[in-house]
Amino acid sequence: MEALIVNLLNGLSWGMLLFLISVGLTTVFGVLGVLNFAHGSFFMLGAYLCMQVMHIVPSFWIGLLVGPLAVALLGLVVEKWLLRQVYGRDVAFQLLLTFAILLFLDDGVRIVWGPGYHVVEAPALLAGVFPLFSHSYPVYRLFLVAMGPLVGMALWSFFRFTRWGKIVRAAAADREMAEGIGIRVPLLFTAVFALGTWLAALGGALAAPHQSLAPSMGDRIIIESFIVVVTGGMGSFPGAFVGALVLGLLESFGTVFAGRAQMALPYILLAVVLLVRPRGLFGDRA
Amino acid sequence: MKSKRIFLSMVLALALGSLVFSAPAAAAKPVKIGFVYIMSGPFSTYGQFAKKGALMAIDEINAGGGFLGHKVEGYFEDSTGKPDVAMRAIRKLVYQKKVNFLIGLDSSGVAKSVVPSIPQMKTPLIITHAATPDVTGSVCNRYVFRISLNLAQNVKTAALLAAQTPAKKWTTIGPDYAFGHQSWEYFQKYLKAVKPETTFLPRDQVAFPPFKTTDFSAYITKVMQSKPDGVLVSLWGGNLINFIRQGREMGFFKGDFQVLVTLGAAVEVLSALGDKMPEGLWVGTRYWFLANDSALNKKFVKAYYRRYKSYPSYNAHGAYAAVYTYKAAIEKAGKLDTQSVIQALEGLTIELPVGKITIRPQDHQAVTDACWGRTYADPKYPIRILKPFKIFKGADITRPVSETGCKLK
Repeated sequence: MEALIVNLLNGLSWGMLLFLISVGLTTVFGVLGVLNFAHGSFFMLGAYLCMQVMHIVPSFWIGLLVGPLAVALLGLVVEKWLLRQVYGRDVAFQLLLTFAILLFLDDGVRIVWGPGYHVVEAPALLAGVFPLFSHSYPVYRLFLVAMGPLVGMALWSFFRFTRWGKIVRAAAADREMAEGIGIRVPLLFTAVFALGTWLAALGGALAAPHQSLAPSMGDRIIIESFIVVVTGGMGSFPGAFVGALVLGLLESFGTVFAGRAQMALPYILLAVVLLVRPRGLFGDRA
Repeated sequence: MKSKRIFLSMVLALALGSLVFSAPAAAAKPVKIGFVYIMSGPFSTYGQFAKKGALMAIDEINAGGGFLGHKVEGYFEDSTGKPDVAMRAIRKLVYQKKVNFLIGLDSSGVAKSVVPSIPQMKTPLIITHAATPDVTGSVCNRYVFRISLNLAQNVKTAALLAAQTPAKKWTTIGPDYAFGHQSWEYFQKYLKAVKPETTFLPRDQVAFPPFKTTDFSAYITKVMQSKPDGVLVSLWGGNLINFIRQGREMGFFKGDFQVLVTLGAAVEVLSALGDKMPEGLWVGTRYWFLANDSALNKKFVKAYYRRYKSYPSYNAHGAYAAVYTYKAAIEKAGKLDTQSVIQALEGLTIELPVGKITIRPQDHQAVTDACWGRTYADPKYPIRILKPFKIFKGADITRPVSETGCKLK
């Protein structure tokens, strides 16, 4: 029983972090049709900027607020002056461009903050542990478990119920028609890309008190996020949620029950889903 | 406008002239040393520390007349921790930069695949970090030396420490590649030899998280639930930092079991963790900057601190010491040619900041002391220091040549 609950919490907290990152990735893909390789670098930048803000104002909450916003601003610039140039072209150009951005950001971080490891402290409110059976469990992890559905619900309601959300969905569904009825699609794309980078950076800032910061921390998470997005269905919201949850739980329970085979589990999941439902669990059937 | 152009061309001519005329009047040919460490990616901090140590040694030696009057030049390449990249880097150093000597290698995986190709390049290599026993064992060769502690020596000290604890049932958490698995294998062998009643958890119950893991909670839970008396931790670098932070939160270090962290006293790790490093934890290292009271060590630590405002890690020490090891060998040989230097390195005894080491001629492994200690919060230092610490004599922890499987001659 104890093992079950601890593993459940381990898997949920990791899964929710994955969800925050994947949901940005999937939103950008769903609306802009861009597979953003640099998404992991925005995740990393979110963590570093959160740390940097905390050096000036020693509060995690302010870091969490300001850091991701600063990264979103960068996302805005990237979309407006770089990404926009390649929309009409072959997909290979998008991949090359976003990969180049990844390289720039990774090395930029190395130049500014050095190659070493950094550590960010959890806020006092969440730094403690609570007793769980014979052991203790960190409060911060519970906070992560709660943040996932919270951000997910907020985003979902935004897309579902607000006027802006409907405009975004309209533009995603049919760009030309949306332009025809007077929606300023380029502006909308910039905003959506900034939102995507904000989500990645938010994930990074939230991950900061939980793992060490180092350049290339984004490279590791981007692979898993891709697995989540492809498993759940490219561009699908609930897909990202379920995909992240399944992957998180698979990793925590797999460690206990599958031993060394655990490493292969995410890829097996991916392969099986692609074979059975090539468009992902929640993908549109075209 | 015209006068400006004339002025510019004059400046240019002057600059060129000074270049031509200030060329050194046939100075002695410099000696080139090539360094290959991990300079990028999650483990790059180790390479950066090594580079600092190397640069300091080169500057000191050049100030004192270089190698037999020859200026020493250092060339640095990034291995990225991948065997093929490291191999390319070494070829570039040897064939393009024409280096005379090589120093480096962090990862055991890199070392094991690179070492067999070194003899083709006819350039000696001193390994300062990579710990796999194989490079001074099954794949040893005439051109490769190691002055740092190897895995077998390091784990032997862990086993000696473990034997003194009341713990009877041991498990491990280590990186899922040769280093983690070999650490566990040697630990069982050595501990069983000194304390035969010890038991070890079977393969499916020990934890080997993949290299890229950032969330160790599942592994921490697994180890805690297997209810061991002792845990051998062979994680290192960023993995170790994440593991310690998350383990601390989950009460891992408050559990009723012994914890031995084989590479926990790396300054790279201690600096990142600061006061997040639990106190009273047994951690091992290849070099601890406070462990040796010799004048040489004090001078090294002082000079390093003055130059970089941080304390030297074992990797900084390794690169620094390797440059001095070449210096000693060259002075012993009295000349710079490769074969004489190799001969001089075999059996060389040299005093380094870590203490006196001797390079065994039979397998090219240095007999060097190891240090373990318990983490302690001292307000004089920004990082946890080791107090008390224990020095294990190199002679007691180095396996006999007959066990290494090395056949040099």
